[in-house]
Amino acid sequence: MIIENIADAFAHILHAKTLLLRAVGVAGGLIAGAIPGFTIAMAVVLTLPFTFSMPPEQGLATMISVFVGGLSGGLMAGVLTGIPGTPSSVATTFDGFPMARGGRPGLALGLGVWSSFTGGMISAVLLVTLAPQLARVGLEFQPWDYFMLVMFALTITASLAGADLIKGLIAGALGLLVRTVGEDEAAGIPRFDFGSEVLLQGFDFIAVLIGLFAFSQLLNDVRDPKAARTSLSEKGTMDARIEHWQAIKTLIKHWSVALRGALIGTFTGILPGAGGSVANILAYDQAKKTSKNPKEFGKGSPEGIIAPESSNNATEGGALITMMALGIPGDVTTAVMLGALLIHDVVPSPSFIAEQPVLAYSIFISFFLATIMMVIVQSGMLRVFVLVTRVRMYILTGVILGFCGIGVFAINNVDLDLWTLFWFGVLGFLMRHFGFPLAPMILGVVLGNIAELNLARALAIDSDLTHFVTRPWSLFFLIIALFSAVFPWFQSVRGKQKWTLFYLPGVCFAASVPLFMMGGIPRPIIACVLIAVGLWVLYRRWRNGWVLEAYEGHEIKEG
Amino acid sequence: MERLNRDTFVAVFLLLFCGVMFWASFDIREPDYGMLPPSAWPRVILTLMSFLSVIYLVRSLSRGPDGPGAYPGEPKSLLGWIAYWRNPIACFALFAGYLTAIPWFGMLISGVAFVFCLLTFLGGWSPRRLLLHAAVAIFAVGGMWSIFTYGLRVLLPTGEWTGI
Repeated sequence: MIIENIADAFAHILHAKTLLLRAVGVAGGLIAGAIPGFTIAMAVVLTLPFTFSMPPEQGLATMISVFVGGLSGGLMAGVLTGIPGTPSSVATTFDGFPMARGGRPGLALGLGVWSSFTGGMISAVLLVTLAPQLARVGLEFQPWDYFMLVMFALTITASLAGADLIKGLIAGALGLLVRTVGEDEAAGIPRFDFGSEVLLQGFDFIAVLIGLFAFSQLLNDVRDPKAARTSLSEKGTMDARIEHWQAIKTLIKHWSVALRGALIGTFTGILPGAGGSVANILAYDQAKKTSKNPKEFGKGSPEGIIAPESSNNATEGGALITMMALGIPGDVTTAVMLGALLIHDVVPSPSFIAEQPVLAYSIFISFFLATIMMVIVQSGMLRVFVLVTRVRMYILTGVILGFCGIGVFAINNVDLDLWTLFWFGVLGFLMRHFGFPLAPMILGVVLGNIAELNLARALAIDSDLTHFVTRPWSLFFLIIALFSAVFPWFQSVRGKQKWTLFYLPGVCFAASVPLFMMGGIPRPIIACVLIAVGLWVLYRRWRNGWVLEAYEGHEIKEG
Repeated sequence: MERLNRDTFVAVFLLLFCGVMFWASFDIREPDYGMLPPSAWPRVILTLMSFLSVIYLVRSLSRGPDGPGAYPGEPKSLLGWIAYWRNPIACFALFAGYLTAIPWFGMLISGVAFVFCLLTFLGGWSPRRLLLHAAVAIFAVGGMWSIFTYGLRVLLPTGEWTGI
C-alpha cells in the first residue's frame, strides 16, 4: 500500500509539467529571495493564484519550490552585496560578505548553496520520519485539545512575531474576528453583515492574505520617493563563479556545524511562529559559541556561513511537519499552503497523512526534489539573479500590484475579492505603521474557522468547560500558551529581575503535570526528565547564590 | 490631554470598534439548535480584544506623551503629512481607480493603465521613463493577462465599453 502511494505520488511529481513548474518555482523563489524587501512569504502568497487551477499535488509542489528557492535566494544578495535578501539570511551576511570582499565570493556562495542543500535534505529526512509519528500523537486530540492547540499557536506567534505581545495578541484576535464575518459555518446564520450582500458572503481569505501581506508591504517599500527610485542593490560584485568542490570539502570538514544548524532550523520550524529569521541567528550564535576559532566570526569564517544557511533551509521541513501532522501552520508560508489545501477541499488534520497518503508523499518528494533543483538552478543562473537585484523598487511594486489584481480575481472570479484585497491592503499598511505584527493576524484568519468548529464540537459532546483544563493535551497546550505569553516579558527583563531565574524550571515543572496525566510509559519518563532538568537548573542557580547572569539577546523580527 | 500619545488614539479606536461589533453581535439570529450559538464565538473574541485594548490603553497612558524624536521624519502639519505619505496615498487612490474602471474598460486595459500611471507617478515622467513605463505595463500586465486567459482558462472581466 505504501509502495503504491509512493508510486502514485511520483507519477504526479515526475510529470513533465510539474517538473517544469518546479523549475520555474525554484527560479521565481530564488529571484524573490535575492531582492531585498521582497519576502519569501510574499512570493508564496503571490504564487497561490497560479496554483488554484492545478491539482493539489502540482500546486503544492510549485509552492514548496518557490519557498525552497526563496530561502536560498537570500544568500546571493547577502554574500555579493552585503544586503540580506530576506530576514532568513541576515546572519549569512555577517561572514558571507566579508569572505566575498576578501576575494572568495565563489567559495562564500558555494558554502551557502551546499549548506542550504544539506540543511534542506536533513530536514526533509526529519519531515518524512517525524511527521507520521507526530500525526499518530495528533490522533489522540479531541476537539478541546485541538481548540487549545490553535490558541497556543496564536499565542506563541504573537509573542515571537514582534516586540509587543499585546499588539500581537490584538492582531491575532482581529484575524479570528475577520473570519466570523459572513455566514456561520456550523448553522449558516449571517453574522456582521450589516444588511450588506457583500459582507454576507464573508471575506475570501486568500484576498485577505494577499492584501494584508503583499499589498501593504509593497506600499511600505515605496513610501520614501527617493528610495523607491533607486536600485535595490547597486554595490557588490557581479563576477562570481560558485566553487563547488572547494565548498563541499569545507562543508565536510565542518559537518557538525551543518548538522547542528539543520537540527536548530528544523525544531525552530516546528514551533508555530518561529521561522528562518529566528533560526539563522540562533544557529550562527551556537556555531560561534562552539567554534574553536570564535574570533574569526565576522571576518569571513566558513562556519559563519554554514550554520545560518543550513538552519534557514531546514525551517521549512519543520514547519511542514507541524502542518502535515497537526494541521497547524508553522509560519506565514505554511499558512498560505494550508490555504491552498483548503481551496482544494483538503483539510489538514492529524489524519491528513492517513487519509491523503498520495498528497502527503507528494509533499515529501517535492521537498527533496526542490532542494536538489535549487542547487542546479542557483548554480546555472547566478548572474541573472544578481541582475534582478538591480531592478528599481517602484517598477517591482507597480508590476506586482497589477498582478495582485489579476491573481486575486482569478481565484473565485468575483469582483468583490478585489475590494477585499484593497481594504485589507489599507488595513495591513496601517497595522504595520502602528507597529502591529501581521503574522498573528494571518494565523488568526487561517485558523479562525478551525478554532470555532472545534469549540462547537467540544460543547456539542459535553458542555462542561472544565475539560479544557482536565484533559491532558488541552492542559499541556494551555500551560505552554501561558508560558509563551510571558516569554517576551521574560526576554526583556532576563538577567535583571530575580523571577526570571525560575522561568525555565517553572516551564519544566508545569509541563510535566499533563505528561504524567497522559499515562503510559514514555510520557511519564519525559515528565521525570523535565522535572530533573528543572531541579538541576534550580540547583545550579542556588549554587551560584541566585546571581543574575548577564544575557546578550537577539532581536527577533517578523519574516 | 497631556498624557495622550499615538498609541492612546489607536487603543481608543480599537475600543470603539469592539463596542460597535459587540452591539452588532446582538443582531445575530439565535437558532434553536446547536450548543454554541453563532454569536458566542465572536463575543468571546471581542471580549478578549476589548480586554487587550484596555491594557494597551492603560499602558499608553502610563507611558506619557510622545517625545519629539518618537517618530523621526514624520511631519506634524497636514501638508507635510500628505507630502510624506504621498506615494502610498497615490498607490491606494490609483488602485481604487483601477478597480472602479474594470467594469467599463475591462481588466486588461484598466490594468495596463493602472501600472503605467503608477510607475509614472512613482518614477517620474521624462520621455525615456514614459517609454520604459509603457513597455513594462504592457508586457507585465499583458503577459499575466495572457497566462490567466489562455494558459489557465480564467475568464477575466471584460469592459462594457471596450469588450476586451
